Amino acid sequence: MTRLFARAFLAVSLSALIPASLFAEEKSHELDFAHDVVPILKRNCVHCHGGREEEGGFSFNNRELVFDSGHVDLDEPNDSYLLELVTSDDPDTQMPPADRPRMGADEIETLRRWIAGGLKWDADFTFAIRTYEPPLRPRVPELPISRNGRDHPIDRILDEYSIQRDLPIPSGVDDATFLRRVSLDLIGLLPSESQLSAFLADDDPLKRERLVDELLNDSVAYADHWLTFFNDLLRNDYSGTGFITNGRKQISGWLYESLVVNKPFDEMTRELIAPPTQESQGYIDGIKWRGEVSAGQTLPIQFSQSISQSFLGINMKCASCHDSFVDRWTLKEAYGLAAIYADESLELHRCDKPIGETAEAAWLFPELGQVDPVAPREERLQQLAELMTHRENGRFARTIVNRLWYRMMGRGIVHPLDAMQTEPWSEDLLDHLATDLVANGFDLKATLRNIATSAAYQSQSEVVGEETGQEDYVYRGPRARRMTAEQFLDSVWTLTGNAPKKVEAPIPRHEYTPGSTQPVIASGDWIWGPLENGSVPAGQSIVLRKQLTLAKDAVGGAAVLTCDNQYQLYVNRKLVSSGDDWKQPQSVSLVSHMTEGTNTIDVIATNDNGKPNPAGFFLEGWVVFADGSQVTFQSDDSWTYCSDVVAARGGVIDTTNDDWYPVTVVPGLPVWREVVDQKVRPLLQQPRNAVDGPVMVRASLLKNTALMKSLGRPMREQIVSMRPDTITTLEAIDLANEPTLSKSFAAGAERLIASTGGDPDTIIRSMFRSALARDPSSDEHRLMMEMLGQSPDRLAVQDAMWAVCMLPEFMLVR
Amino acid sequence: MMNFHEDPSAPESIVRRDFLRRLSAAGAAALASGAPRLLANGSLGEIEHPRPKADACILLWMAGGMAAPDTFDPKRYHPFEKGLPVKEMLSTFPAIDTAVDDIKICQGLENIASVMDRGTLIRSHVQPDLGSILHSRHQYQWHTGYVPPQTVAAPHIGAWMARVLGAPNEVMPAFINIGQRLEGIGESEELKAFTTAGFFGSEFGPMNLPYPDQAAVSVRPPKGMESQRFANRNRLFRKLVDASPDRDRMSDYQQESMLRSMDAAYRLLSSKDREAFDITLEPKESFEKYDTGRFGQGCLLARRLVESGARFVEVTTEYVPFLHWDTHNDGHTTTTRMHQEIDRPIAQLIRDLEDRKLLDRTLVIVASEFSRDALMEGKPGSNANDQAREKVDALGEMKHYGLHRHFTGGSSVLMFGGGIKKGQLYGSTSPERPLVAIENPVSIEDLHATIMTAMGISPRMGYEIEGRPFYVTEDGNGRSVDALFA
Repeated sequence: MTRLFARAFLAVSLSALIPASLFAEEKSHELDFAHDVVPILKRNCVHCHGGREEEGGFSFNNRELVFDSGHVDLDEPNDSYLLELVTSDDPDTQMPPADRPRMGADEIETLRRWIAGGLKWDADFTFAIRTYEPPLRPRVPELPISRNGRDHPIDRILDEYSIQRDLPIPSGVDDATFLRRVSLDLIGLLPSESQLSAFLADDDPLKRERLVDELLNDSVAYADHWLTFFNDLLRNDYSGTGFITNGRKQISGWLYESLVVNKPFDEMTRELIAPPTQESQGYIDGIKWRGEVSAGQTLPIQFSQSISQSFLGINMKCASCHDSFVDRWTLKEAYGLAAIYADESLELHRCDKPIGETAEAAWLFPELGQVDPVAPREERLQQLAELMTHRENGRFARTIVNRLWYRMMGRGIVHPLDAMQTEPWSEDLLDHLATDLVANGFDLKATLRNIATSAAYQSQSEVVGEETGQEDYVYRGPRARRMTAEQFLDSVWTLTGNAPKKVEAPIPRHEYTPGSTQPVIASGDWIWGPLENGSVPAGQSIVLRKQLTLAKDAVGGAAVLTCDNQYQLYVNRKLVSSGDDWKQPQSVSLVSHMTEGTNTIDVIATNDNGKPNPAGFFLEGWVVFADGSQVTFQSDDSWTYCSDVVAARGGVIDTTNDDWYPVTVVPGLPVWREVVDQKVRPLLQQPRNAVDGPVMVRASLLKNTALMKSLGRPMREQIVSMRPDTITTLEAIDLANEPTLSKSFAAGAERLIASTGGDPDTIIRSMFRSALARDPSSDEHRLMMEMLGQSPDRLAVQDAMWAVCMLPEFMLVR
Repeated sequence: MMNFHEDPSAPESIVRRDFLRRLSAAGAAALASGAPRLLANGSLGEIEHPRPKADACILLWMAGGMAAPDTFDPKRYHPFEKGLPVKEMLSTFPAIDTAVDDIKICQGLENIASVMDRGTLIRSHVQPDLGSILHSRHQYQWHTGYVPPQTVAAPHIGAWMARVLGAPNEVMPAFINIGQRLEGIGESEELKAFTTAGFFGSEFGPMNLPYPDQAAVSVRPPKGMESQRFANRNRLFRKLVDASPDRDRMSDYQQESMLRSMDAAYRLLSSKDREAFDITLEPKESFEKYDTGRFGQGCLLARRLVESGARFVEVTTEYVPFLHWDTHNDGHTTTTRMHQEIDRPIAQLIRDLEDRKLLDRTLVIVASEFSRDALMEGKPGSNANDQAREKVDALGEMKHYGLHRHFTGGSSVLMFGGGIKKGQLYGSTSPERPLVAIENPVSIEDLHATIMTAMGISPRMGYEIEGRPFYVTEDGNGRSVDALFA
């Protein structure tokens, strides 16, 4: 189609300019090798005489082979043996063989004309299967000299690479770009405004290295982020196909702990292949469907495919049905791996049909040793685990570092990542990273640190006009990475303070939070003003107040609170949070609102009900000091109330009233107790760091949702090592109107107004700095001012925040 | 852009190089990304797409296993009678006449009977026996053409149409799925496994509209945002993009495609076409003709969407384990209700499409993952477990009366429009148990081949993913059943 169009276009636009001879092709229909000849050869010949096959010693793989075979006679084309074979009636010699369809007269005529025309062949065309075979053993590359003081091994390799190819060395990025990029890449979170200011103000020349270390040392944030990568790679999830019939087990707890403690990758792999406990068993057991499945998807075959893909980047899927057409793996090799796992003897099936051969347990690279096929299953798995993670198995190390390089730099050194049978664009770089990983005892953080501290990582990302093929790729700097669904939601939740409150993954996250303070016990009462006949009048609003004197500045502090059935919380007159669903207690950070001395906490509590009924307010709070000590406070009889509610304006409450009376501790309803037990307690038990109250619940710890799916989180029934890198229309519809997302932006707007006092300039700067890690340009500032006006309302701020978060600059890590 | 004046042969050679790369076996391993690649010339030879007979496809999905003998393939009828041996129970509804002389269907489907002359009734659709009946697994196979698990995520047939054809109206989502909740019900994760574009990526995946009467919300600006505010918000977004200090990024393909998608979404959400999603805009009289519940409303929504240029719309009676067509006891009573739910809206949909001159170019299919039988689980020779809830030999009470076992040996499919022959009966099942197809069996792959042929997609067309050629019908083997076409 495209080609026809191109021709037609040429004919129309150039006919006046080009001599007629150019169109000779159209007149006599000169043969076109690609379109006229290749299809005939493919249909009739290359099945047995192309690719790996060369029956009778004859192959069509390239022109030389055809010519040298003597099957064609360029001087007397009609005497060519090839033509004799295809026109023969003799079932013993005719080609294609008698059991295959005969060639049509027009096809034979095309071949004749092809030979007569000199056996034209397009230069780089071949039917051969690519012959590149990646080396097995590790190789320590010799590092080129360092130039311009760029001594990092990655830079020495890449600078040499660029110079050899006459490519410019990508220039470096500024501190702000680096901070945003490295935070998102290493822990999946946006840097906060205060982190940005502190980093920019820091004049330590080694601050970038220090930052990398700080991020990698934040083991919970690191685990939260990399959990996504490993869940994709190991097809682990908290919900999905297979759980319903117990056909699938999670490895979530094991995986999370492995990441928190930065377990060496070889050890992780051994525990996955030969699980020491049930905790990591789920990976090799795959997904068992009830009923019959094809021979290419039994559990042993799934095992063969999974370990090949996860740890070696080898596609064993083709070979588990028949010898692969696309690379060198054979049915026998696929079944050899499967037989290591299989409980009973395993018969080879080709395309779902048994071929009367029993698989013998074996692994792919006997140069390193072999699995003992007669050993018991557990021993075989142990042996495989050792062979896979053998220090001499360079392919294992290369596969994982290539994946990390892709996450950090936007494109694999071998690409796509699971085509590790193909040639890297820089063997030296891949080998350097791989041998460095092994030398560091398979410490993945060491590899990430190695990459993140290179000038290459810290340089301008490439502007990519369109994706090119592997053979055309040249390195011109990192490429922008699209935020994963998890990164995007975490970022939105960071900006809006609206993350879900509950971890859904079966992961005891609080156990891993270092420096987390003593858990707070829920000891508060439900309080209100005076009751009338045991009830609160319909629609009544009152102000509840607590004064808290702090001897020194707090470094942390938060509260979990709820009100049946509406509240607004003000700290030192400023609105901090509000809620109207008493069944969903809120967790609110207080530290930035509290100071040394007296702090006033006011709550406007409303019984928004048509008739008198019970109402109550509940709060459990704490403040942490630099020395680790903490003070707790809660709703109890030490609070006072005032029934004169002065309307709060612009997020500030008027507290001039002085008619305050002791509150009533109201009898707790059973439904309230349930909320405290089931919702408040878990919130109190969540990990808290010293600064921000509870550690935000991250999207990686939640079950997949329609929104996340639409943003590219895979279903994890298959291993996925690369997610889509563009945004689709259905996704854009969700971004425009998905209710939970809209709600987040609404909450974020409210919070931003409260924390800035509603000043538009502060709002705009805060939004840009926290979302994009930079200040707005004057144009951007003007546009935002036009939207917000001098006294911005919540809706305008909400929409402006949405617009900023939809910018490609926000959604891409670059 | 190439300057043709300087080098007139250049565009040709570029196109050729690209074509050669795609043809070359070596190219397979050198794919630029993990994205699926159109098989330009698969091992099956050149693909020639048939001329499309339909522009849109509506699949009316009878989820949970619609019993053919109690719907479109009536057998010997026995009214409820205490003590009746279960083996005597073939159909629990008497047969009625239809608009076609030699076709009788079950009582309760009078409206569909009256439009039977507009389409073909297939009575010989057969499904493979997967050994153990898990509805969602059979549904997976029916919707993707492949038995799970697969090494790659198989696309739904709607995703194939979205990928290959797109939507006739470019602002409309090409694949719309109505009536199936995917959260909070049994087997929901299993349903999600095939309600997807699989390896094609979410661009071609379904827009899920579980509640037809709330479909309009999905294509509206967020709740509480009136159109002026929605437009202002988008205007600010566009202006910020234009004002971005990083102008070289404008040519970045990722950025470009993001902006294109954002723009397409905005166009749909602010366009007149979104009214198609709002069934409350339907005149009352017409709305009531369809309104038998969510399925009926879904049929109305499907009609409106097709009128506005959707490509593939599925409307389901909804699969929920043990509900609706999934009758494991009390089958007769439940089926009576299901008749009421589907009869009027299906017939009305056909009539409305006809009145609007759309039926000729709209393929409507009524199908289910398998049939049911009173006695036999699976098909003859199957080792599937008997899943009837009450295992009785003779009827004791009304809840024993019905077809409570899954039967995969022969089921019924209705097809209308899109070039399908009118007033035809195709294939048959045995009059006595086992009620297997005995004439002109139609497999899932051949039925899919027929559907794809009607839509103008070759059943042999494929994409390559992870080095594997993956075809629209399993391994490219589906053959269109030509006798179904006029």
